[in-house]
Amino acid sequence: GRGGAAGGAKQVVVEPHRLPGVFVARKGKDDMLVTKSLVPGVAVYGEKQISVEVDGVKTEYRVWNPFRSKIAAAILGGVENTYIAPGSKVLYLGAASGTTVSHVADIVGPEGLVYAVEFSHRSGRDLINMAKKRTNVIPIVEDARHPHKYRMLIGMVDTIFSDVAQPDQTRIVAINAHQFLKNGGNFIISIKASCIDSTAEPTAVFHAEVQKMKGEKMKPEEQLTLEPYERDHAVVVGTYRPAPKK
Amino acid sequence: MTSMQVLFEASVGYAIFDIEEFEEIGSEVDTVQAAVGDLAKFGKICKLKAFIPFRSAQDALENINAVSEGLVHPLLKDFLETNFPKVKNVKKATFTIGVHDQRIGQQIRDDLNLPCTFTGVVPELIRGIRQHFTKLLKSLDATSIGRAQLGLGHSYSRCKVKFNVHRSDNMII
Repeated sequence: GRGGAAGGAKQVVVEPHRLPGVFVARKGKDDMLVTKSLVPGVAVYGEKQISVEVDGVKTEYRVWNPFRSKIAAAILGGVENTYIAPGSKVLYLGAASGTTVSHVADIVGPEGLVYAVEFSHRSGRDLINMAKKRTNVIPIVEDARHPHKYRMLIGMVDTIFSDVAQPDQTRIVAINAHQFLKNGGNFIISIKASCIDSTAEPTAVFHAEVQKMKGEKMKPEEQLTLEPYERDHAVVVGTYRPAPKK
Repeated sequence: MTSMQVLFEASVGYAIFDIEEFEEIGSEVDTVQAAVGDLAKFGKICKLKAFIPFRSAQDALENINAVSEGLVHPLLKDFLETNFPKVKNVKKATFTIGVHDQRIGQQIRDDLNLPCTFTGVVPELIRGIRQHFTKLLKSLDATSIGRAQLGLGHSYSRCKVKFNVHRSDNMII
């Protein structure tokens, strides 16, 4: 038999992460990144759910896999800030089927909003279905290259997150920022080097993208590779039209 | 040109805003940009002139489909005709309508013979209106606009995936 289990299963303890709205579930030596589920009892993509009871109040958390989510990978990689917090309004470009979007929705909570843009109709269907249960997610099946098409659906946002994996991604983020990102708002862009230029060195690609941002009033503040979760990926976090220093 | 009004398309309806002292601020993009972040300042520059709500979800969907294609829906046409005088020569008009982009501007000019602008301070003014829309409209609170965006986002997106959200793609063999 397995002697180690004699005392029964170890209790799971959930603690807040340094970043607001994000939590860490500790079970023995295992630490897992989790978010507090907005819709308890429902898994979005087969992720594990953890229920914790404190003083008679049950709370459900969903495990956030860094191998499946760039934001989770960036958080575990120690990113300074994601600028996605309870109450945030987020424009999410490249929402895909909405797996990461569902965690972002958990973080921003009922006071926040996630405008989730995805061009692929196949992924868009899953996104719409996910958004039926999470009413703080506004699904937008449209090309992020043409923000004028969805301008009626979007208010000013605090943060833009982008994972569109297109060669002109920085330009796509910029045209969306010019319309929807408030002054002093933030952006967080996941860059897959091979999507931009498959022949250049990843570090050179990241550097070139950062230069493009600077030409669009986007001030990069932090750059982080997503090793070991993703190869040749980086996230760049920064501020749009930062307030002039006094 | 002596005055400017800005057309803003929202999930709840169309709105027209009067831009105060346009002749002074018209060339000062930086001044407008600085005011955008401050409702007290921006509210002095930009005042609601008229608003027309969408009457139903279907009405809203038809209008967003038109706007996204750069077309003037009959509702928008009526709204503009009600709020702007007829112009004989667009080049000699004493006002201009600030619009989101060239597509809708050209269409308004073609359909209604009204002068439109989409450059200069206009993008900044529209950013400001987007940021303070519920406050400028007064009769609207932030939750009701969020709800309208949610409903319209769903219907617009469902329309895009051709109403078959429950079916997977038909495989072509």
